[in-house]
Amino acid sequence: MQKIPLLRATAGMVLARDVFRNDNPVGMPICGKQTVLSDTLITRLDHLNVKAIYVEGHPVWEEGDRSLEDMLAELDRRFEKVRNDPLTLKVYDMFVEHLKRSMGDNGGREAK
Amino acid sequence: MDEKRNELKKIIMDTRTLPTLPGVIHKLNSLTENDKASVQEMARIVSSDQVLSARILRLANSPSYGFYRVSTISNAMILLGVNVVKSLALSSSIFEIMEKNSVGLWEHSLAVGVAANLIARKLNLPECEEISTAALLHDIGKVIISLKCSEAEQLIRDMIRDRGMYMRDAERETIDTDHAEVGGWLAKSWFLPDKLSEPISFHHDVALSGNHRIKTAVVHIADVLIKACGFGDSGDCYVPQIQQIAWDVLKFNEQAMAEIIDELEDKLVEVKNFSLELQGSDAPAY
Repeated sequence: MQKIPLLRATAGMVLARDVFRNDNPVGMPICGKQTVLSDTLITRLDHLNVKAIYVEGHPVWEEGDRSLEDMLAELDRRFEKVRNDPLTLKVYDMFVEHLKRSMGDNGGREAK
Repeated sequence: MDEKRNELKKIIMDTRTLPTLPGVIHKLNSLTENDKASVQEMARIVSSDQVLSARILRLANSPSYGFYRVSTISNAMILLGVNVVKSLALSSSIFEIMEKNSVGLWEHSLAVGVAANLIARKLNLPECEEISTAALLHDIGKVIISLKCSEAEQLIRDMIRDRGMYMRDAERETIDTDHAEVGGWLAKSWFLPDKLSEPISFHHDVALSGNHRIKTAVVHIADVLIKACGFGDSGDCYVPQIQQIAWDVLKFNEQAMAEIIDELEDKLVEVKNFSLELQGSDAPAY
């Protein structure tokens, strides 16, 4: 599952979560999960001011998007100056956990 | 060395060369000093400048504050508070420069605003809006440095690239001051309240913050989290060390931190979207 800005949505993607109105996030869903997106639907969601949606898999790979291994390596690099500090290290571990969870079991690789 | 710093302070604080402040601000300043002025009256003054109102509303609707829709200036004043609206008005010209010239820094600032808001709400802190605003403004010194000392800025960038330094250390070595201090000067010259100027001045050194240590601590930790996410571009890519004092003063615990890290991912998508929309709306229509 991946959360993407609506601007990046394209026809054929599958919703992974119900979509709610921005101004009424606890109201009735305006589009159910498992729906396959079409161009018309994306325009409609845009008109309803929906900003972001959850879609199945990890379909949006942009320049700068990385696999789990790459992401962990970059995280390592960002923390390289503070690895000796126990408190900051604790937060580092939380980020590692979070990344592993968020990229899913397949490590975020694109489903065939 | 002190001479160099003072000279720089003079140049930086020369108000004539700062990004221009709209005349509305002066009226607003004199009104806020008057206890009897009503919110409606102040809102009317701000609304008389349409460009400024539009900018304020755009910021008030940024994900940093977490409101769904703020549609009028008087709404913004009631929801965000007069102080916040005033600081947004004051900094709107700087934000405009950021939006256009340093998108990375703009995204970093917005994201730190979002993270600070998340932390403040999670810990049930009072004055969430002030905390978000301080976070939004925390790196304002970087914009001033790049405006006023463009040669030094290039040098700073080279040092970060070649020697892998923190931006703050490179700034100290080059211009004998850093963006936090410069931001603090600016906040003072704008007469921003201490609760905004302290977090700006001390977000790298929470212990120095005397009266608003909690707010400063939130901005410090929010900055660390956003740098850890690698979101936006704040000059260097290195995560600063979390200061124990900040963790202690907020009585943070690991569970709250883990929840914030999880929620942050969703929020950063909103920030990205907000920023993309702004870039899109500014692009010329062909």
